[in-house]
Amino acid sequence: MHIPGTILFTGEQSRRGYLLNRMAMSLTDAANRASFVADQAGYMRGMGLHDDAIDMVSRRDWRGMLDHGGSIYLLIKIAGALGVSLQEVGRHTSGRAEGH
Amino acid sequence: MARIVGGIGSSHAPSIGAAWDKGPQREDRWAPVFDGYLPAKHWVEAQQPDLLVIFYNDHMNRFFFDAYPTIALGVGEVHKQADEGWGKRALPDLRGDPDFAWHLARSLVEQEFDPTICQEMAVDHGILSVLPLFGDAAMTLPVVPIAINVIQHPLPTARRLFRLGAAVRRAIESYPQDKRVLVMGTGGLSHQLHGERYGFVNPDWDNRFMDLLEQEPETLAALPHQDWMERGGTEGVEMIIWLAMRAALGAQVRRVHRNYVAPMTTGLGLLALESLSHAVGEVR
Repeated sequence: MHIPGTILFTGEQSRRGYLLNRMAMSLTDAANRASFVADQAGYMRGMGLHDDAIDMVSRRDWRGMLDHGGSIYLLIKIAGALGVSLQEVGRHTSGRAEGH
Repeated sequence: MARIVGGIGSSHAPSIGAAWDKGPQREDRWAPVFDGYLPAKHWVEAQQPDLLVIFYNDHMNRFFFDAYPTIALGVGEVHKQADEGWGKRALPDLRGDPDFAWHLARSLVEQEFDPTICQEMAVDHGILSVLPLFGDAAMTLPVVPIAINVIQHPLPTARRLFRLGAAVRRAIESYPQDKRVLVMGTGGLSHQLHGERYGFVNPDWDNRFMDLLEQEPETLAALPHQDWMERGGTEGVEMIIWLAMRAALGAQVRRVHRNYVAPMTTGLGLLALESLSHAVGEVR
């Protein structure tokens, strides 16, 4: 299956992005969100993320996270904790400039 | 004996809930959406349902990929609101109906559907973005939620969900207590949340979909996921959930109400259908 302009969330993607997605899922807990916001890199290391994933989150590289196996439904939880909107995440993953 | 009084298909975009929660400060651009629910709300009230069976999908709020169910059934006394990552809305927890839900579990497994049976099933905007639009009374009705995987491939086929809906109808009709059951299916309509195709909506397809759902659901049941995603966007594949609701209504239906609003990030559809069939009929 191939849909142009789309990254299908396949088993392969789910496997690749598992730790990133698991970290994002943990942000459905208010105490975890507070810990994440207080020390993002430390929190992510504690959740087992590797340096390249931590770096992508730090740079707000939503497209990179998507390519890395992040589920859009989980990326928006990271974004929410950081005060970034769904629209900003979506536009970034589309490669189109902000504000259009 | 329990019986189905009708069906509702509805979009469940989280923006509906966010806009609704503004109360008197609701934005004018949402009026065509909210006003569009009123005839459906009045019709549902007139049907006096005492149980809701809701097909929907969870958005990584109750379930995670550590163990991801293709079909999940909530059998608990209470369905709490999930925290989706930004705190909860001011909504009451939903009531469940364990007696009916366990009957449904037994019936589905006998019919060779094998849902993951969940005594705890926090629910997210897949249900809660739209249920408040049906009024405070609707929020106090017992709900039996059925969550469908439309996120992690492989997804269940449209036909599988069509058959699931027919099986749910048989389960309802074999329940010995008198119940008036309203069946809902939520999701879609067209939208895409990521990638170069972010922002894609397809009003022509959304309207064609609602035509076919009413008149030729078998045509929709035959569509492969590729077609759903090409026409309705990757995340728009949620639309297959409506097929379960439609099949539960049996072959013959009468349209009570229909509404559609675009452009938003998501094509917003609403369909209220009365069931005219007294038997399930054969589902291919």
